[in-house]
Amino acid sequence: MINLLQALLSGLALGGIYALVALGFSITHTTTKTLNFGQGEFLVAGSLVAVGTLLLISGKSQTGVLTSADVNLLSYGMALVVSLAVLGVLGVILYFTAVRPFFGSAGMSWVMSTIGFGIILQNTALAIWGPGSMAMPSPLGETVIRIGGAGIRPQEILVLAVTAVVMLALDHVLRRTRIGKAVRAVAANRQAAALMGINVAAIVVLAFVVSSGLAGLAGLLIAPITTASVFMGLSIALKAFSAAIVGGLTSPRGCIAGGFLLGCVEALVGLWRAEMREITIFALIILVLVIKPEGLFGQKPFEKV
Amino acid sequence: MFKHWIPSKPLSLLAAALAAACVIAAPARAQDIKVGFNADQSGTAVAELGIAARHGFDLAIEDINKAGGVLGRKLVGVIRDDTGAPPKSIQNMTELIDSEKVVAVLGPANSGNALAWLHLPQQKKIPVIVPVATATDITRRYANEPQNYIYRISMVDREQVALLLAYAVKATKNKKIAFIADSTGFGQQGVKDLTEVLALHGQQPVAVEKFGPKDTDMTSQLAKIRDSGADTVIVYGLADANAQLLRSMEKINYFPTTLGTWGNMSTPLLNIAGKKLSEHIIFATSTAEDSNPRAVALAARVRERYPQMPTFVAAAQSYDATILLAAAIKQAGTTDGAKVASTLDAGVPDTQGIIKLYKKPFNKTEHDALSVSDFNLARWKDGRVTSYSDAITKAMTPADLKK
Repeated sequence: MINLLQALLSGLALGGIYALVALGFSITHTTTKTLNFGQGEFLVAGSLVAVGTLLLISGKSQTGVLTSADVNLLSYGMALVVSLAVLGVLGVILYFTAVRPFFGSAGMSWVMSTIGFGIILQNTALAIWGPGSMAMPSPLGETVIRIGGAGIRPQEILVLAVTAVVMLALDHVLRRTRIGKAVRAVAANRQAAALMGINVAAIVVLAFVVSSGLAGLAGLLIAPITTASVFMGLSIALKAFSAAIVGGLTSPRGCIAGGFLLGCVEALVGLWRAEMREITIFALIILVLVIKPEGLFGQKPFEKV
Repeated sequence: MFKHWIPSKPLSLLAAALAAACVIAAPARAQDIKVGFNADQSGTAVAELGIAARHGFDLAIEDINKAGGVLGRKLVGVIRDDTGAPPKSIQNMTELIDSEKVVAVLGPANSGNALAWLHLPQQKKIPVIVPVATATDITRRYANEPQNYIYRISMVDREQVALLLAYAVKATKNKKIAFIADSTGFGQQGVKDLTEVLALHGQQPVAVEKFGPKDTDMTSQLAKIRDSGADTVIVYGLADANAQLLRSMEKINYFPTTLGTWGNMSTPLLNIAGKKLSEHIIFATSTAEDSNPRAVALAARVRERYPQMPTFVAAAQSYDATILLAAAIKQAGTTDGAKVASTLDAGVPDTQGIIKLYKKPFNKTEHDALSVSDFNLARWKDGRVTSYSDAITKAMTPADLKK
């Protein structure tokens, strides 16, 4: 029973990260029908920029080692601000260099160009921070908290809390505010939205900023759990993309649900056989695609004539 | 053999001659004996070990030259970084042997790289002493050739397994030992060795679990090991994954006696798991900074020059490899590779190294200078690797070391 609870807690914390990145996939997909296939490298950039900022604040070199004395809520908050700002700018650059030039042209050039952008990002990070994994202590300490006998670290609770807040806030913005309605209008029909006086170009740039920001946030949150490393992006992005597919790329709520679902499935299968985790997850995706191609929460696309 | 560079670099030759004249009256540079060093110093998780080995190599050469060099000539190190990549490592070897005309090579750090280029020094009759890589097969591949040119002063995978299990079998109170290993070739070969050696002790593991090398949560696997009743766990993974394993142990509050391989002395273990948790894992090593006065002195010298040096043991192994090589060249009276190798096999005079006094460390069939009887247990203490002993290590006898 404790083992089950332990697996669920671990799964939820990891699932929260998948959910945040999946949300980033969903936002650019609904507004521009494109995806940033370098999303994993954006997550890496988010965590490494945060580590770099913390090292800078504590007066260490960029290859130094952070100790728990270097990380408190204030410096972590500053790292958050820097990280989100850098990632937001990267999102804008990505849009103008790797997505917009291929808009409207047939083919899938943007797939290659977003992957390429990610690789450029990865190698830049490699040049600055090297290949090793860099530890980032949690600003909330490392003391294990016991819930019904199962252990969870404060950072994992923070991941869950932040995911919940981001999810609720985004849901509110999209459904209740003018800008949210504008985003949804662009998502539904660009031409119609433009005719209604919505600045489509600005909305699309905003989508890329929010999408990269979410990846950066995920990177910042996960670094104290997994350590920050240039190579951690791909596997997380792949699972987050799977989460978006399972939950439904068109549905922000579905992406969140898909993220948590995948995290928990992964942890629970691990209780049975560790090597079966990936197999189960990707089998699940194929199953969902066969039965409900639009995802568990996705809406069936339909054309009005 | 130097005719292509002497005329082209008269200035550097002059500068070298002047510099040499200022310090000591050294023979002309054309007389130098070149020894190659080829190991990862930047690319992978073992780069730390490669860097430490280079420091040991540098200091040994410095000491040898201070004592008058070898055969009246100066020893010069030619250093190459293979960044952990086999193609780069092969390219370095070719360049060192063919262009630089080194008489011997030290390296590499990654076992995979060694296995990728072993045929080169073997064909070109250039002795190699491996100061870091541990794969059992490295010194065995050419064991049946008339002359095997590959030697090693490092840990050997099968030998450290023997030590870990000798301890584990005595440490376990309920005779329940479990293994957990990463899913790569390294971890799975480890499980195979562990299972075979444990069978020699007449026991079987009560649980064998796997984790991915990049996994960060091993609570599920550990819960199964705990449910199997194991009070002793041997982990076969690299330092960063092992650190995550320790963190998962803390999460489920399950702290069995935990043993691991020498990879645990890399700093990621300390940085990720923290000072307190990192002390929980006991691992095999050939020497620690505080093992003997010679080690203490060498560690102090290395740290003076390179304060960041993380893993001392590779420096000690590399230092010993260099002075043994010098002793062999001296004994052979020539730098000819075939003669140096046969001298290493036939026996060099007793040579005092950092790790031990080498008395006939190699022979025709045995090319590993260190074996399980030279290994010790160690663990992190206050951010440093220190040797470990308790009632169990004191009760261990050579008969316990089955392999």
